[in-house]
Amino acid sequence: MEALLVPSLAKVDRIIQETPDVRTYRLKFKDDSVTEKFSWLPGQFVEFSLLGSGECTFCISSSATRKGYFDCSIKRAGVVTADIHSDIEEGDDVGIRGPYGNYFPLDDIKGKNLLFVGGGIGLAPLRSLIQYCIDNRGDYKDFTILYGARTSADICYKEEIEEWKKNTSIKVVLTIDKPEDTWKDNVGVVPKILEEVVKPEIANTKVITCGPPIMIKYTLQSLDRLGFAPKDVITTLEMKMQCGLGKCGRCNIGSTYICKDGPVFTYEQLKALPDEF
Amino acid sequence: MSFSTFVTDKAGLQKMYEAIISKHETYAPVEKFGKYDYKKVSSLKECDPDSPIAETMSVKPLFFPRSSKIMKYEATSAGTSILETDQDPLTAQRVVLGVKHCDARGLQVLEAVNKWDYIDSDFLKRRENTVIFSARCDKAGTHCFCTSLDYDLENLDALDIAVVNGAEGKIYLQTRTERGETFLKEKLEKSTMYNVQSTNDESEMKKQYVAFAASFRLKMDYKDINEKMAKRFDSPAFEEASRNCVSCNTCAFICPTCHCFKISDEKIKDTGVRYKSYDSCNNVYFTLEAGGHNPRPAKYRRWRQRSMHKFVYYKERFGVNLCVGCGHCAISCPVNISIFDVVNHIASTPVGS
Repeated sequence: MEALLVPSLAKVDRIIQETPDVRTYRLKFKDDSVTEKFSWLPGQFVEFSLLGSGECTFCISSSATRKGYFDCSIKRAGVVTADIHSDIEEGDDVGIRGPYGNYFPLDDIKGKNLLFVGGGIGLAPLRSLIQYCIDNRGDYKDFTILYGARTSADICYKEEIEEWKKNTSIKVVLTIDKPEDTWKDNVGVVPKILEEVVKPEIANTKVITCGPPIMIKYTLQSLDRLGFAPKDVITTLEMKMQCGLGKCGRCNIGSTYICKDGPVFTYEQLKALPDEF
Repeated sequence: MSFSTFVTDKAGLQKMYEAIISKHETYAPVEKFGKYDYKKVSSLKECDPDSPIAETMSVKPLFFPRSSKIMKYEATSAGTSILETDQDPLTAQRVVLGVKHCDARGLQVLEAVNKWDYIDSDFLKRRENTVIFSARCDKAGTHCFCTSLDYDLENLDALDIAVVNGAEGKIYLQTRTERGETFLKEKLEKSTMYNVQSTNDESEMKKQYVAFAASFRLKMDYKDINEKMAKRFDSPAFEEASRNCVSCNTCAFICPTCHCFKISDEKIKDTGVRYKSYDSCNNVYFTLEAGGHNPRPAKYRRWRQRSMHKFVYYKERFGVNLCVGCGHCAISCPVNISIFDVVNHIASTPVGS
């Protein structure tokens, strides 16, 4: 028995079909004593197992300020995630280890303007922080969410985004890559909308971004052009991980353990790492 | 705590080993098909504590098994349950005979990663409950370079009791840890059959070390290599150095310090087992993400990771090199790549070219 690697069982309370290939699994531990010990901060992740298929790393996509459950939003991408989508039904049991990793720098963003820039499933880790910040809204100044997806069907958390839009203290900007007949919002890739539509205030603003590698690459360039300092841009890295405990060696970039020192880094910290992600 | 030195002879040592084997769970190098692996033994005849370095596999699997069961589980329509696997009796005292110094150093190096942040208490308990008798080599093997890597007479606390050949058939036993001291003292109190005398004279042990140190073909200055490698992440020489690698991972699987592992499931019908097994950064799938992205898609990048982890990253993080100079990777490599050659070659190339 390798005690560090044995998961706790959780029940899938609800499955929400977000997009054709993304589902959110709402989870509750079967054992109340595990629930009591399980506390997390936005940005942390869990090791999620479908017993018999395997174990994968997913961020927790909800905030601990929403009590009684936690969410993992899972895109069908590889072998295990395909099994998760096809085999898991509401009421089934899954294995969970965690929470692991660091979290978004909650102290640093207090009192600042917040600009969230998300793309596709990259909204999942941001959602945990967005919920946390909404539930502590008084701690922050301007609150902007820019979210893009390839098509309108690929937009995650549609119902929740409608709620965000109704919240007058939050500015929500949505975009899709190409025009669609029924789409009334912005059209164009995230970095373009960031520069041409959002035109964010630089002073006193923290940017929190996550999305596919190509979006991140061009978004970081846009943020540079707009004049954001690398220390004010925060992202979360998606590396292949297995143990989540700083032991198995898989997520190393240089002497950094992404599972322990990350997954949340500032752009300034990322620049100091070897180009291996 | 002060440590003690004793002198005996081959017959005395053998009697002591026999007594240990009869009383304790004892592991020692056992020959099979020309290779020695550490196995549980019931008599001294089965094993050879003086097995040759080049043919002896690492003792690491006694502390970090090649493949271990994380858990068993049952998943049926009625529900899921996690079952305990057979418990490893981590508390039982074990003795291991004939461990090479480089290999014992490997365990010491591995302690760092196993006890930072989350503590792998399985590994640490196995080490705590094991008394290691070393066998210091008299002559270096073709691929040995342990004396180039933090190894010297004053740094032997990786093992519990050092066994060193002296002149005219004399054999020295020196305790190097509290665990070794307690164990050996107790053995010597119980029997006078081992021809053992206490001594303060370490001159023959030192002489043996000087002769041993002079027998090395390979030598390097690791501090110099650490500094030079740190500046050569972008060296194009990694490409040439790794060209023949067939990504078989043998180097990692037999290494005393490699510790990367994978977690995998095997399920037949309703019952499954989850394993923790050795893995290697030389595997193309090691960093392959489900979406298809791979940060190290090319072989030279994986070889760079292997070399830099051993001589730069681990040192930065934990203060020691992740290599003990045992040479086993070079001995076992099917395409004759030697990490000694690779890092020395990379270190000799100009920076930024």
